[in-house]
Amino acid sequence: MIWSDGFTDMGAAVLLTIDVSNTQTVLGVYEGAVLRQHWRLQTHSGRTADEYGVLVGNLLAGAGSPAIDGIAVASSVPPMTQVIETLCRTYIGVTPMFVGPGIRTGMPILYDKPQEVSADRIVNAIAAYERTHDATIIVDCSTATIFDYVSEKGEYVGGVIAPGLGIASDALFERAAKLYRVELVKPKHVIGRNTVHAIQSGLVYGYVSLVDGLVTRIQKENQVGARVIATGGFAPLLAPESETIEEVDEFLTLDGLRLIYERNAQE
Amino acid sequence: MLLAIDVGNTHAVFGLYEGDALRHHWRLETDRGRTVDEYGVLLRNLFSGVGSPVIDGITVSSVVPPATQVIDGWCRMYLGVAPLIVGPGVRTGMPILYDDPQQVGSDRVVNAIAAYERTHDSTIVVDCGTATKLEYVTRKGEYAGGVIAPGLGIASDALFERAARLYRVELVRPKHVLGRNTVHAIQSGLVHGYASLVDGLVARMQKEIGMKARVIATGGFAALLAPESESIEEVDEFLTLDGLRLVYARNSGQ
Repeated sequence: MIWSDGFTDMGAAVLLTIDVSNTQTVLGVYEGAVLRQHWRLQTHSGRTADEYGVLVGNLLAGAGSPAIDGIAVASSVPPMTQVIETLCRTYIGVTPMFVGPGIRTGMPILYDKPQEVSADRIVNAIAAYERTHDATIIVDCSTATIFDYVSEKGEYVGGVIAPGLGIASDALFERAAKLYRVELVKPKHVIGRNTVHAIQSGLVYGYVSLVDGLVTRIQKENQVGARVIATGGFAPLLAPESETIEEVDEFLTLDGLRLIYERNAQE
Repeated sequence: MLLAIDVGNTHAVFGLYEGDALRHHWRLETDRGRTVDEYGVLLRNLFSGVGSPVIDGITVSSVVPPATQVIDGWCRMYLGVAPLIVGPGVRTGMPILYDDPQQVGSDRVVNAIAAYERTHDSTIVVDCGTATKLEYVTRKGEYAGGVIAPGLGIASDALFERAARLYRVELVRPKHVLGRNTVHAIQSGLVHGYASLVDGLVARMQKEIGMKARVIATGGFAALLAPESESIEEVDEFLTLDGLRLVYARNSGQ
């Protein structure tokens, strides 16, 4: 097999970016600034480095990827860190760079305890600010629904953490005796006249309302009409109904990892 | 006295009415494994604390089928009264404009009845319990459908169980919307997030029906969310019990 798009940017560094989240782990291969390939794996902290090694090695080989020059990782799941570290050294032969304390991000963190902000949130903030160079709110619609605010000057100011759409709907079906799992689609009307439509409305319009309401409240508190970029698995479902989301970028975190890697490689 | 029992997924609430006045109320965990005799001992104790009143009638709304059987058995064995269980066949006085009227949970209809009795106008009821349920009653007093979203409590439990680095926080309103530490960020997401969910759904329902309906909230989280909500006009913790009292009166034929 050949590298699917060919070597259009011959000589550019090949970077593997890994975003480890609570539910899924996303991998992306960049040649220079271009995302060439991406994959999504289940995050399962019981899985060993050898198991992930077989998976990742196969995916890279299957796509005909050139040799990896560098690896950048953001992990919000501490037990996965060691697994990823071993996988990278043993199966790819590269020592990974983990975003965390000691890594230069180029973004001041105005959090009470800067080390408390998880890596993916900083990475998202960096990728978003690189595009807007303006006050920006990032909405990550994943296991949790996480909002991060970057000031006009490019400082990470703080955020909001709400339950994610997927885990909240799972909880509804597990805990409410008479309710059952429904397909996650937008119903025709807000007011449901049967239980399936009522739940679909509550999940889709309810979560859109949660996002729009929190964005509006953050904008009001900071007296700015900040730009709004969304990412995460549920962003494409919610964005068309949202009045605040301007743009969806599925690969925002991977892009931020690339930027941080470049900023640290320059040294 | 009338005993009104509202069995929800998390709690069962018991209220004793003398005429239309709620005299006493108690809240028990909805434990599906609890037996008739356990309810017997618990409630005999609670009732004796208020002078063991004579109970002439009982009305029940339950969204937990296994618990319904147990409550029914307890009413008959320990109080000698057959309860009126709200469901198909029980006269509510409210037309149900649902695709399949039997599918609407009895708590939703009972809330709608209690709210309309107060407003006699188009009304949205917001029940902030295990689920967050919104019901729409037309100006003419018809139940016209609703919305069901995950409740604040179960959604926050899910967050702490499923996100590796997050932990349980006290459920209070933080000073700012934007958190500068994880505790404040989560408190904001729960309180401001859920107030936004309720406000947004109410606004969309009002837009769809083309008018500004009255908004009454009930349920365990209503008191927490109402001060942050722009749409909730009134909170009534005992709306469901009150609706049960009304349904009982309509069925006893007086």
